[in-house]
Amino acid sequence: MRNPYEVLGVASTAPAADIRRAYRKLAKKLHPDLNPGDKAAEEKFKQVAVAYDLLSDEEKRKRFDAGEIDASGTERPPQHPFYRDYATSDHSRPYTESYGYADFADGNDDLAELLRRSARARANRRGQDLHYRLPIEFVESITGADKRVTLPDGSTLDVKVPPGLVDGQVLRLRGKGAPGVGEGAPGDALVEVEVLPDRRFTRVGDDITLDLPISLSEAVLGGEIRVPTATGAVTMTVPKGSNTGTTLRLKGKGAPRRSGGAGDQLVRLKVVLPKPPDPELEQFVANWEAGKAWNPREDIAP
Amino acid sequence: MNRQDFLACLDIQVQTLDFWLEQEWLVPGRVAAEMNFSDIDVARGRLIQDLKTGFGVNDEGVDVILHLLDQLHGFRRAFEDLYEDLKGTRR
Repeated sequence: MRNPYEVLGVASTAPAADIRRAYRKLAKKLHPDLNPGDKAAEEKFKQVAVAYDLLSDEEKRKRFDAGEIDASGTERPPQHPFYRDYATSDHSRPYTESYGYADFADGNDDLAELLRRSARARANRRGQDLHYRLPIEFVESITGADKRVTLPDGSTLDVKVPPGLVDGQVLRLRGKGAPGVGEGAPGDALVEVEVLPDRRFTRVGDDITLDLPISLSEAVLGGEIRVPTATGAVTMTVPKGSNTGTTLRLKGKGAPRRSGGAGDQLVRLKVVLPKPPDPELEQFVANWEAGKAWNPREDIAP
Repeated sequence: MNRQDFLACLDIQVQTLDFWLEQEWLVPGRVAAEMNFSDIDVARGRLIQDLKTGFGVNDEGVDVILHLLDQLHGFRRAFEDLYEDLKGTRR
């Protein structure tokens, strides 16, 4: 941080009136809004503003002279955008005037023709694309759904979510964006779909995985069980002697593919013992010699 | 933002705002019958404050400066548009 007296170009003994005069002279030259094309002006202006903020306040100036505070002063001036940051944006319409170059556009030369053509193009400009986010349930991402997005202005937008869509996919709704200018076509609405996580299903490519608890009897003896899928429950046969980690495949019950057909649902079985522990089962296992003799860790443990 | 928020944001009196509006230094948008001030109006208000209190410009001076600045920005905008068009045709 430079010495504020140097920044303003005044002596350290300068009276307040001189400091103000010096500040105004510099600020007029450096104010970003009076120098719209000079990117460096803003930084310089801020330095001058900080220096003046310090030296124009008698108390702060005294404390700076006494070495109690440094050249950054006690606070920076609030950081806010300048008018020039908006002045050529679409919001500047009520303010910008074209008289400043109207005579150029009236002429008969190439520049005049270019200016006229450009103005005509802007007068019929296509509307802007508008971006939205749409959270949907996992099941909806597989089956597809009709959703309604409420826009900031309170109006609504109906979105047809196609089946099989993935998280982050963007749907383009033609003509649902901002209106065009003049005869320009409206822009598009771009809706980014967020697929919410599901406590049961996980998508892996076109397949859907599901961890399914089964009882000990179902594992040992096999049997028919009901399994949830994204499109509703189906009946599945658990083969005799199934185990935790056994994965069964339900053909065509995964996510639909764009090319037709669908992925599979992979059902990973998980054997769960009854809760609370069953005394009869305990009794059986205690007397079950074959069960005690077999070591499932043979491959990994010494 | 509405009128009240705008006054609070710039820390100005209602009379000051009325004068700015009367001079057409500010032309806020409208939502229904209510004035609706946007970021550009706030930035323009700050510029007017800088000119008046910071630089000691009087009302006539502000009028002239804003008029010239609006022309300058109109010109800059036309130039930017033209530049975009030329870039587009060259591609």
